[in-house]
This record gives sequence, structure tokens and C-alpha cells, in this order.
Amino acid sequence: MPKYPHSYIPRLMGLFSAGKVDRREFLRTSTLLGLSATAAYAFAGQIAGEKLIPDAEAADLPKGGTFRLGMHCQEIKNPHTADFTEKTNITRQVVEYLTWTGPDNVTRPYLLEKWEASEDLKTWTLHVRKGVKWHDGRAFTADDVIWNLKRVSDPANGSSVLGLFTGYLVKKTDTGEKDAKGMPKMKAALWSDNAIEKVDDYTVRLNCFTPQLAVPEHLYHYPMQILDPKENGVFTVGSNGTGPFELVAYTVGKSATLKARKDYWGTGPYLDTIEVTEIGDSAGTVIAALASKQIDGVHQADQNTINAVKAFPHVEVYKVASALTGVVRGKMTEKPFNDKRVRQAMRLAMDREKVIAAGIAGNGILGEDTHVAPVQPEYAKMAPQTRDLVKAKALLAEAGYPNGFDCEIVTRPEPAWELNSVQAMAEQLKEIGVRVAIKSLPSTQYWEGWDKVPFGFTGWAHRPLAIMTLSLAYKTGGSWNESSYSNADFDAILTQAEGTYDVEKRRLLMAKIEAIMQDDGPILQPFWANSSTVMSKRVKGFKMHPSYYLHLQEIGIEKA
Amino acid sequence: MARFIGKRLAIMLITLVAASFLVFAVSEFTPGSVARKTLGPYANQEQVDILSQRLRSNDPLLIRYTRWLGIILGLEADPLQDKSLGLGFTDPRGARYFGNLGYSTLYKLPVNDVIWDRLSATGLLAGLSFALIVPLSLVVGVASGVRIGSKLDRGLSATSIVLTSIPEFASGVFLTAFFVVLLGWLPGTSPLSTTGGWSVASQMVLPVAVLVLYDFGYVARMIRASVAEVVRRPYVRTATLKGLSRRKVIMRHVLRNAMIAPFTVLLLQVNFLLSGVVVTELVFAYPGFGRMLLEASLFGDISVIEAATLVTLTIAILCQLIGDLGYMVLNPRIRIS
Repeated sequence: MPKYPHSYIPRLMGLFSAGKVDRREFLRTSTLLGLSATAAYAFAGQIAGEKLIPDAEAADLPKGGTFRLGMHCQEIKNPHTADFTEKTNITRQVVEYLTWTGPDNVTRPYLLEKWEASEDLKTWTLHVRKGVKWHDGRAFTADDVIWNLKRVSDPANGSSVLGLFTGYLVKKTDTGEKDAKGMPKMKAALWSDNAIEKVDDYTVRLNCFTPQLAVPEHLYHYPMQILDPKENGVFTVGSNGTGPFELVAYTVGKSATLKARKDYWGTGPYLDTIEVTEIGDSAGTVIAALASKQIDGVHQADQNTINAVKAFPHVEVYKVASALTGVVRGKMTEKPFNDKRVRQAMRLAMDREKVIAAGIAGNGILGEDTHVAPVQPEYAKMAPQTRDLVKAKALLAEAGYPNGFDCEIVTRPEPAWELNSVQAMAEQLKEIGVRVAIKSLPSTQYWEGWDKVPFGFTGWAHRPLAIMTLSLAYKTGGSWNESSYSNADFDAILTQAEGTYDVEKRRLLMAKIEAIMQDDGPILQPFWANSSTVMSKRVKGFKMHPSYYLHLQEIGIEKA
Repeated sequence: MARFIGKRLAIMLITLVAASFLVFAVSEFTPGSVARKTLGPYANQEQVDILSQRLRSNDPLLIRYTRWLGIILGLEADPLQDKSLGLGFTDPRGARYFGNLGYSTLYKLPVNDVIWDRLSATGLLAGLSFALIVPLSLVVGVASGVRIGSKLDRGLSATSIVLTSIPEFASGVFLTAFFVVLLGWLPGTSPLSTTGGWSVASQMVLPVAVLVLYDFGYVARMIRASVAEVVRRPYVRTATLKGLSRRKVIMRHVLRNAMIAPFTVLLLQVNFLLSGVVVTELVFAYPGFGRMLLEASLFGDISVIEAATLVTLTIAILCQLIGDLGYMVLNPRIRIS
């Protein structure tokens, strides 16, 4: 019997052969536990009779040429604190990640050669890829990995990776002091000096205090880019990296130029040059720039843009199902949202199909108020939420609001689907007497208070695993717990799920979690949107990533 | 004359101080501190508080305003550039120099590295538009003003009213649909780079067209009204009766007198073209001053907003000064009084 990186893998293979877990789930879990993507796909192919991923595809890509991308050119000084995908889509071409979650939601080793998890999922051994060289010629080693992991774990550096690490690598402790509002001041730090351990020059061990299944996914969180320690976290033109391109020019708010490296360790790049041009916020500019062939593509396009450009003969539309969504949530500390019946009533008031039509122009599927998406491997199918105005009104009356109530929801005008969805939902809530005034704030002001306002709508990006979102957003004290939700049962089951690699057991746990979300949970979540974009037909080899990440070493461009 | 100009410049200085103070005071009411904007949304409160303290952001408004003035005048170093803060904010000109407009929290660059490029881009757009608006509105205004009620007048008036009433975003979309999507003659956006395969000149056509179409009709209407009034004056009749050619009457007697009122209107267009072009800049993704000001305002980037205020005010006041001087040249009565 071959030796597998984790003892659960043989059983998983058995479950897959017996048809008890589906293909995606098999690929997901086996690769998470350290089986290489190639081996996992090969096994899946054997069983299901499918072909291996065609490796030959890459060989057919055209070589050379310039890819012209229309995208925001925001400041990119600190990749570890990046807060927009656009920022990392520039730096992503120069610096890389330890792992890589592909468009198929399967996570593979990237700057790692492989990883192994202990039986209890508390110890993760990361094997650093040998033969990777920094652009300046220095070999890439475990020290580089450790420096980066420690840097994002230090609250002083303000990285959002800290939120993901909190709960298994990072612990929050009470400093004993109180802040201005009398709340205890918390300090976050690695739970032990040995939490991130150097085994040798090419091996790093993560010693966690609780089991964590999503470590490989966390290592691909967008700010978790591996920077050269010498540059002390600052990224600029000419910055060192292990990636396929070099940033040769950058003007914030205007343009960026990247040139291919000749000595890249991986496959590709096929392009010579990437030219990024800032084309602003207005939806019309994408259409206009594509029409006059000033750009070859954008990283993100909503359905309205797609409708406008799909008639252009030179444009191709790309779509992929994702866990991209928006949630309406009240603060659990505020009336009337602290009453579970009010939240239930609001969920019952939804005509979800109509919200999908009005909000995202039909480009998505029904949501079930659980924040666990069908594309995520842990998803357990729930009964669909159907509209029931009579029951909704009865619940409101029971909660002490027979005539409904007035409230103000905070949202933002960009991207347009957010405001459109809120408007559609506000109309539907009116029918049960919940009179919602819409307060649409400019994005920057919106982000100042998105997690503090009593009632708000929040767009949530795609994440490969549902437990990632759930622990950030709904666990007691979670970094992005915007609704201040706190439910001991939920927390306990979620922690258990985070440490359960057995797919069937985990799905049972997830079914319980989803049931709590539907019954007691803080959110109203009408849909899952598809991630979509448009590219010129000259662009070859492009695969739409549900998180809008661009891996431009994979694409080629045909001559005009 | 020198005294007049000196007095005007002194008033300009006072206006600048007053206006910059107002902007400073009003921005107090926008959410988010300088420290929070500098560190970003994911920095923890602890860090933000420490930075606020070191930047002395909790001092009274007047003290902070004086400090800001001190930084501009080069009397004080910009605290954001303090190396011990570890923000990596550096200005090649140094932390303390005359004309230091501070550090942008949005662009994470010295304001002096951001605004001048943007201003010159908008200057190009505004200059080209102005160079077309003036002759076009003069021709149309005079042609319709000298014969009020004629077919030509009605036609020109109707056209200019219609064009002025179409907002820039609408004409931008119409023109794009026609010249970009349908005919493919022009580029749809104007990022002022040539990587898209279109010359910068071709990228100027549509934005300039939108501004000219929007603006010239209004100015032409002003000139028309003024000309219409002047042609009824006795001295114009006298000039005609003494046998001057129509061309000479218009050029020598009508035009100069009719230009006095529209002259101010024309100069006001300079202000409009510098800060009012934001819609056109958005529609065409033009990297200009208006769009920068909009982004900075939405973000609450106080350094950029203050700098932009100073720049636009200076230009506005200088235009007014030129207007007053031009008035004197055109109208001797003002010179005497």
C-alpha cells in the first residue's frame, strides 16, 4: 500500500469510489491533506473515467506580446495590508504565495513543494519548494517563509491575515487595560514562540493550539504574499520577488508596466509585457475601452457590462459559480434586530428570484441565509427558503412590532449590484411593514463604519471554504463579525468542523451550522453571484477565478 | 495700477487663508482620522490610537491648522514623514521645504507628486476646449446677435440651447456610441497612454468635443444678448449711416463694446474647465485634476483636498484679476473712475 501524506486519504478514496463523496469534494479534501493535485486528479480520473487535466494546453499558447489590462492602479506600497483584489492583482505577478487555490477551488502547493497535516490537524509541516530563486538570484528558503508568516501575525503590521490566524496560531489576550469606551483592550500575538517553527532550511512547521483544516487556504489569502524580508514589507517598482514578472513602472491612478522574467522557476510566462491602464469607476469606460480595443480585458465585469459588450465580435465572456454574495445584517446588540423573530420575518419576506433579477441581472443562484455556498465543499443542502408574508407578519407582531418598524440601512453605490439588491430587498420588506430608508455612502466612508452601523448591507468576497467566512464573520469575537453575532452552539460546532477532516462527519456538522444560521442567524442572504469578466478573444489560456485573481503567467496573447 | 494689483494680491492671500481654514474645519465632520486612513481599514485600534497621538491629531483645530500652514511655508517638518513612524512616507524634496503640501493618505505619495501631473492633464483638456469655445461662441454669438429674429439667429439659438441642455455624461455616451462603437474612428477612453494603440491626440477628440458642445452654446447666448443690445445703440446706427461697411461696423464698433459683459463670462469658463470637468473626466477615464479631487474628497484625503482648494482658488482669483484688467482695457470709463 502506498504511503499517503495523511491516514484519512485511503478512506477518502474509498468513499469517493463508493460514490459517497463527489469528485470536487474528493479533490478538495485529499489535496488539503497533502495529496498532490496531480495524484488526486489522477485517482479521480481512474474512478470516474475522466481524463487528467490536459497539461498539453500550455504548449499551444502563443508566446510574446503585450497583454493590456484595464484595472484600477491603486497604491500598492504594502502588499500585506492589501484591501483590494486590484492591488494584489498587480503585486501577484511579481511576488507569490505558498499555496494556490485554483479556479476549481482546489488548493495546490505553489512556493511549497507539499505539506503534511498531523492526525489531529494541529501540526502542519510545510515543505519549501527547492530551486526557487528570488529575482536577485538568492535562493528561496524557510527563513523567507517564516519572516513573512511572523510579519502578518504581528498586529503592528495591520494585515488581515491576522484575522484568519486568530484562533489557532494567534491568540487574543486581555491586556488588563480598558479603552475609552470601557471595553477591555485586547492584544493579539502568536500563541507560542514555537508556533512558527523552523525545522531546517526547507521545512517550516506550524504548531497550532486547535485543529485547523483550512491552513492551505489561509496561505492563499490575498495579502499573504511572500515578500523579500530585505525590503521590510514595502513594495515598489523593481521590488524583488519570486514571481514570473517584474514591475518596471507604476503611476498610482494611471498605469503599470510589468515585464516577463527570463529565469522564472515555474511554467510560463508566455507574455512579454503586461500594460495596466487605469480606466476608472464608470461602467461605461470598460465598454468604451473594449470597443476601441484599447484594452484586452478587465479582471471583473458585472452582468450589465457583459450585456453591453457580448455583441462585440472580438469579446469573450467568462463566468464561474462562486461564493460571492451580499448580506443584510442587523447588529445583535440593537433593537429590533436582537429579536430572532424579527430576523426570521425579514427572511420570510424575501422573494429571492426577484432580488436576483433586480440586483445582479440574473447572474447567480438562490441563497439560503447560511453563508455556505454550493460551490464550497462543506455545503449541506438545505430546504429552500420560501416567501411567506402571513407568517412573517405574524412573527413581527409576536415580537412586538404589529405595525412593523422604521430603520436605516447603510450601503454604497459601487459596485452597482450592491445598491440595486438593497433597493429590491427594501421594496419587499415594505410589504411586511419593515420600512427601510437606504443610506448609500461613498465606498471609503462606507468602509469606515461597515462593521459598526446598526443595520447594513455588506458584499462578501468568494472564499474557497465556508468555514473561513463563518469564523471571520459569525464566530463570537471574529475579526469581521459585523453583526456582533454570538451563539455558543454555533461556535462550538464550527470549531469542531474546523478540526474535522472526515468529509461525512464534517457535512453533518455543517448541516447543523446551516440550520442555526437559518433559524437564529443574523443575516438575510438572497443570492450567490457568479464571478464574471470579459476578455478579448485574442487572450488564450485564461481561466476565470471566482475571486477575480489574475495568474497572468498562464495566459498568452495572439497577434492582432 | 501697481497699487491696484498689489491690493488684489493681498486680498487673494486673505481669501486663500480663509478658504483653506474653512475646508480644514469642514473636514472635521467627515468620518475617519488621518491615522486610520493612513493605516487602512484592517489596522487595529491600538495602532491607530498610537499614530494619532504621535501626529498630535487630538490637538485643537486652530493649532492643527497653524501647524498645517507651518508645513506649507516650510517652517515645520511634515509629521507623517517621521521615519520612526515606520510608514515609509518619504518625499524626495525632504520633510521641510517651502510649498510642502503634505502627504496624501489616499495615494501614499507626496501631494506635490500627485497634483501637478493631474493639473497639467486637465490644463491640456481645458486649454484645447477653451481655444475652441472662444472663437466658436464668438462667431455664433455675433452672427445671431446682429440680426435677432432672423432665420440664422433662430437656427443657431435653437442649436446652442439644445447642446447646452444635454448634460456631459449624456453627450459623452452618445458620442462614444456613434464614433467609437458604431464607426470605430476614435478611442473610447482617454487614459493619455499610447499602449492602447491610439495616439494621445485621438484620445483628446471626444473629451474636448463634449466640453465644447456643452459650454459654447451658453457663452454664445451671452455674446448674442450683448451684441443684440449694442447693435441698437445710436453710435452703431451713426457708423452705418456714415457709410462704413457692415464688416467694419461689426469689427470696430459692435464687437469691442459687446465684449465687455461676455468677457467675464468667458473667464469664468476657465474655472469651470479646471474643476467642473469631473464628469467628462469620469466618462472618458481621463487622468485629470477633477477626478483626483473627487477621489480625494470621497476618501477624505485632507492634504489633497486642501492643495486642490489652494490651486483652484488661486486660478480663480487670478482669472478675476485678469478679468478686471481686461475690463479696464475694454472700457475706458472704468479706468477713469
